[in-house]
Amino acid sequence: MKKDNKNTKINSPWIMMALVLVVALVFAAIYRFYWGLGAATNLSDDIPWGLWIGVDVLAGVALAAGGFAIAGAVYIFNLPKYKPIARAAVLTAFAGYVVVSISLFFDIGKPLSLWHPLIMWQPHSIMFEVTWCVVLYTIVLALEFAGPYLESIGAKKTATIMTGRPVLVPLAIAAVTLSFLHQSSLGALFLLIPSKLHHLWWTTMLPYNFFISAIAAGLAMVSFESIIAAKVFHHRLDPEILQGLAKGTAITLLVYFILRMGDILVKGNISLMFDGGAGTLFLFEMIFFVLIPMLMLFKNTRSTNGMGVMMPQVLVLLGVVFNRLNILFLIQYKQGVSYYPSIVEMAITLGLIASIIVVYKIAIIKLPITTLWKTYTSPDN
Amino acid sequence: MTNHWIDIQNADVILIMGSNAAENHPISFRYVTQAQEKGATLISVDPRFTRTSSKADIFAPLRSGTDIPFIGGMIHYILENNLFHDEYIRLYTNAPFVVNASFEMPGDLDGVFSGYDPENRKYNKKAWAFKKDEQGLVVKDTTMQDPNCVLQLLAKHYSRYDMDTVANITGTPKDLLESIYKTYTATGKADKVATIMYAMGWTQHTVGTQNIRAMAIVQLLLGNIGLAGGGVNALRGESNVQGSTDHCLLFHILPGYLKTPRASQANLDAYNHKYTPTTGEPNSANWWGNYPKYSTSLLKAHYGKNATQDNDFAYSYLPKLDDGQNESWLMIFHKMLQEKLSGFFAWGQNPACSGANANKTRNALTKLDWMVNVNLFDNETASFWKGPGMTPEEIKTEVFFLPCCASFEKEGSITNSGRWAQWRYKAIDPLGESKPDADIINDLFFEVKKLYENEKGSYPEPITRLAWEYGKKDNQGKTNHIDTHLIAKEINGYFLKDTVVKGKQFKKGSLVPSFAYLTDDGATSSGNWLYCNSYTEKGNMMARRSKEDTSGIGLYPNWSWCWPVNRRILYNRASVDAYGKPFDPKRAVIRWNGKRWVGDVPDGGWPPLKNSDGSPNPNTRKAFIMKPSGVAHIFGPGRADGPFPEHYEPLESPLKQNPFNKKHRINPAVKLFHLDPKSTMDLVAVSDGQFPYVCSTYRVTEHWQTGVMTRHIPWQLEMMPKIFIEISRELAELKNIINGEKVNVISARGGLWAIAVVTNRFKPFAIMGNEVHQVGLPWCFGWQYPEDGSSGDSANILTPTIGDANTMIPETKAFMVNVEKI
Amino acid sequence: MEKAVLVDMTRCIGCRGCQVACKEWNERKAVQTTFKGDFTNPLKLSSDCYTNIRFVETEKNGRPVWSFVKDQCLHCRYPACSAACPVGALTKTDKGPVVYSYDKCIGCRYCMIACPFDIPKYEWDTTRPWVQKCSFCSERIKDGMLPACVKTCPTTTLYFDDYDKVVVEAESRLKKYPQKYVQHIWGHHEAGGTNWLYLSDVDFEQLGFKSGVPDVSLPDYTWPLLSSIPAKVAGIVTLLSAIAWFRGRGSQENDKS
Repeated sequence: MKKDNKNTKINSPWIMMALVLVVALVFAAIYRFYWGLGAATNLSDDIPWGLWIGVDVLAGVALAAGGFAIAGAVYIFNLPKYKPIARAAVLTAFAGYVVVSISLFFDIGKPLSLWHPLIMWQPHSIMFEVTWCVVLYTIVLALEFAGPYLESIGAKKTATIMTGRPVLVPLAIAAVTLSFLHQSSLGALFLLIPSKLHHLWWTTMLPYNFFISAIAAGLAMVSFESIIAAKVFHHRLDPEILQGLAKGTAITLLVYFILRMGDILVKGNISLMFDGGAGTLFLFEMIFFVLIPMLMLFKNTRSTNGMGVMMPQVLVLLGVVFNRLNILFLIQYKQGVSYYPSIVEMAITLGLIASIIVVYKIAIIKLPITTLWKTYTSPDN
Repeated sequence: MTNHWIDIQNADVILIMGSNAAENHPISFRYVTQAQEKGATLISVDPRFTRTSSKADIFAPLRSGTDIPFIGGMIHYILENNLFHDEYIRLYTNAPFVVNASFEMPGDLDGVFSGYDPENRKYNKKAWAFKKDEQGLVVKDTTMQDPNCVLQLLAKHYSRYDMDTVANITGTPKDLLESIYKTYTATGKADKVATIMYAMGWTQHTVGTQNIRAMAIVQLLLGNIGLAGGGVNALRGESNVQGSTDHCLLFHILPGYLKTPRASQANLDAYNHKYTPTTGEPNSANWWGNYPKYSTSLLKAHYGKNATQDNDFAYSYLPKLDDGQNESWLMIFHKMLQEKLSGFFAWGQNPACSGANANKTRNALTKLDWMVNVNLFDNETASFWKGPGMTPEEIKTEVFFLPCCASFEKEGSITNSGRWAQWRYKAIDPLGESKPDADIINDLFFEVKKLYENEKGSYPEPITRLAWEYGKKDNQGKTNHIDTHLIAKEINGYFLKDTVVKGKQFKKGSLVPSFAYLTDDGATSSGNWLYCNSYTEKGNMMARRSKEDTSGIGLYPNWSWCWPVNRRILYNRASVDAYGKPFDPKRAVIRWNGKRWVGDVPDGGWPPLKNSDGSPNPNTRKAFIMKPSGVAHIFGPGRADGPFPEHYEPLESPLKQNPFNKKHRINPAVKLFHLDPKSTMDLVAVSDGQFPYVCSTYRVTEHWQTGVMTRHIPWQLEMMPKIFIEISRELAELKNIINGEKVNVISARGGLWAIAVVTNRFKPFAIMGNEVHQVGLPWCFGWQYPEDGSSGDSANILTPTIGDANTMIPETKAFMVNVEKI
Repeated sequence: MEKAVLVDMTRCIGCRGCQVACKEWNERKAVQTTFKGDFTNPLKLSSDCYTNIRFVETEKNGRPVWSFVKDQCLHCRYPACSAACPVGALTKTDKGPVVYSYDKCIGCRYCMIACPFDIPKYEWDTTRPWVQKCSFCSERIKDGMLPACVKTCPTTTLYFDDYDKVVVEAESRLKKYPQKYVQHIWGHHEAGGTNWLYLSDVDFEQLGFKSGVPDVSLPDYTWPLLSSIPAKVAGIVTLLSAIAWFRGRGSQENDKS
């Protein structure tokens, strides 16, 4: 039985809060553009990259990886099990990448020059490559999203084309390729600074570490949003999907663990783990945000209760944010210097996250995103 | 300097003591660097490890005020180990001179030399007279073994300065003393040379003059004077202070180091007679014998046509000092405080910050009826009445501020430490209403002259009859704009009538080629005989800029001009043996080629002492031409405080007693201000538990003098924003002071806050068995600017009212303070 | 031929003429500083301070040692900042200086992250912010003049010449005075080599020189990744297409997704 959400109210206490944050975002934006970065943020010559780069851009891109992961699973590997969540995943990714671009618009010193990399080329620059991939991938996401949108406005013929395999398969291939390039390149950004990034994180494997952890983040994000959405819209999500995602996340985490620990073993850096400070941070990151969720997810693969995966998936999400922030922290650490985000910085980041939530809810209600979500019988349905 | 800046690069050993040359003469330090590149050894001796010490091969610390023990120890070392240049001292110094048999020294007389009058704190210098023979000539002992000859007396006097004693008084570790003595005295060899670079760290003491004397003795013993890379080299503390001393802005001298006349010298003859030395010494050039030519020419320069044979060349117009009257810096403010002065020109200076005992100075200013400050910026002196602790309503002084312009906004010469007068040009016009000092003086002169002409006054002629030929005169007879070239030419001097001198014809109005052609009959004028030769018919010698140098020792004889007569290295006839052959051929300064001297301008063109066959040349003259005896003074019979330097503790010191004697802790010939019954602000603390730390004051590269100019340059203030006190880590621990915190520094005379710099560059001294701490502050800050007082005030708030026995230069380099956390 | 500067710290007297000359030439303003017992002022490089002298006090054999270290952009031979910048706003010129173009810059500040020496600084308090750093007086060098700091230095601490000659001079000084110098030319190989080289009589790490900078050109870490993109794209697209085709056989066309 198909379920549509046209009758679910958009507004709710959560949405009210989100809207407050969006208003704050607007004020913060005016402040930032009028008074400049120095006044609006706590960034400095010592800490040039802060909350916006750490969370909005680095973590945000990783968390939006669900888009290509699910698209790849459904259209390249042809796993129909995940089709019901494909559109939601694309929606999340699209909203996420738009927010990443908006965040960059806020963060760079000359926002009106954001388009420069399109015309002024520096092929030796990782960031140049990231910029191009992000632009191209956002276009791909828009094209992937075109189908549901066209359906909602009744453009049946075009919608059919945009939702057919001849379009979606190449788009999925493009998505995976572009994502492989830029997800790993975000890690490659830090290859240039072996003297600044602690060697429990720095390795020539850094691009692969970033790519693999992005997949884990993307899968975890899809799990998380599906669970929340199901609650909000009174759906039951197919536990098979959640278990499949859990298994996928767990395997990805395992690969990640092996890659990182293997590299550290081979380089003879094991002793660094016990060096205090950075070593402790590393252990924290690996134990609480990789090993524990991995084990929980492997264990929960068999259970029928979808909720059991919520906590470990949240840990994975937090873990990816933690990992990106750790790297930023380590490369910019200077004695006697501390950084915490300013009110404006937080208003913008929280406001943008809130915007995603609001847009997501509206989209789910207004657009055919969740049409394939099944309900299933259970004692308390 | 006896030598010059570039010459430093010729030295084998460089001693920088009583100076922080890298800090305060960074550009000239290039030559020290170049000397080191050639293998020279740099020795830095300083209470504190400075920027100079950072480049030194050997650094030794010593307690402020103990330079005489240090150098005395070196004299002891030289004599004990026979390291002196025997031929040199025999030919060129008074080492063989015999002193009268009743002469006694501090070792015998418990701290003083013969002839001391304790009540008046003065010496009768006749007690130091040389033994004379029947002809009235000084007896000389060529063997230099007579116990009363200068060399033996020197040895006896400094036998008390053995290394253990020296180490105990200076706090310098014995191994460093030995290392330095060994290195430096190795230049006693004929072809090795050492130079001494010193500055206020030596002069600003009650024994300042004797500090220099001690080093001069060392350099003479080692035969380093007159040679390239040698000499006794004072690093002047201001770009043109050499010029100001040459033109004799001090009270007791007239331009060219002539003497200010005293009231008892009733006429020019009496005056000339008093100051023109005579000598019976054979072959002594006795150049000061020409004194009357210079004094007469000076008067002609000032008064022109109004100075004639008939009116004693206007001698009566010169202001006279009473016999014994001293109007040096400290005296000025001492009298000012006692309301004995009604007016004061503080010209191009900031006494409220630069003078010792700043609180006394600032208070003294409040007693004036009027004061004029000529300066580029407002400063602590011009605004003294707004300063901390001042009540403007109660101060009756009328203050005038005349803005003057900076050195690049006017044309003229600047004389550097090496006696080089270098002509400078105007780069831009003065800002606003500021004017060159010359124009300000010019305007003042004509105003005063007009007042005298209209209102008569008590003695107008000295002003109204001045020649003042410094620019075109308008139809009121006023010069409206000074032409610096006319001043320079007058300083050089003119022939005032057609005349013949030394067989040469000269036309009226032409410039005198050198001081050898000045006369005492009114035919010549010269504003400063030393500078006669600087601006001649050949042109402005000071403006020459030729980089050509064939000397091989960096003389650059055609780059600008130096006095006297462009002689770059003074006393250079002591750089050769009796035959005119250089002691140090690789760095020869002059050389006799059989007919004349080749190289630098010789210190007198007379032939060498001996003919090539060994017989004495009757036409020769001895090498030290400014001394009546013709030789350099190892025994110095003219100083106020003794013929040999003797250690006396600074006025304020940590010791209750002089380690060398029981009776005279301090210099017995210094004027003691705190004993004046009228003195209120001259408090002194000796070995006082309240003020237990030795303190010195110094400068920083980033700021200039009291900082009037540099505190107004944001880039400079950014680098050095506020006053600091450097203290050792040991003292910081003792007082629980951490690096960077504000502390209070107090002396018996006043106190100020400073930021503590805790450093390993100060270390406590072991003095006579006790631990003595030393600290130091810069004196480049003042309350007036920045306006919020955030830079602090001048370190001179702490310094005492006491000066050297000969020069009265204040002892700002050694006094006692306390340092407390705030 | 690229120009280089040899900074012989055994000659520096810490007069800071270079610091002021640089400010003057580049029209940088002075800022209000505090003083916390350290003569280094300003404490760090900034958009208003392209070079400063760091005062470092150490000790050797119980005797104080005072060193003066001139910090400024090192103008690396293979600059990380230049490879990092997405729009090529930082470029290495053929005379040696690494120069900045405001017109291209987008203000992403990746150069500040990428520089192993933390040199580029930013103008945070304006809406037209530049990245600021020493420019090696590129416009002066172009006209055959000395950089402002080199011209001002009184003690010949700064030796400016062609790169090869500078290296030869550094090597000869090390050989001539083996006791005086630490036997290492800093900047000869660090980060693949820099155009500003240093000689010292005190251990470089004690003087605050960044440690751990590998002796390789830093852009070499990323260029292989970027230059292989065409191949990677081709490979991945081929692989994924094959998988999609293989897995897609038998799948219904026009499946409603």
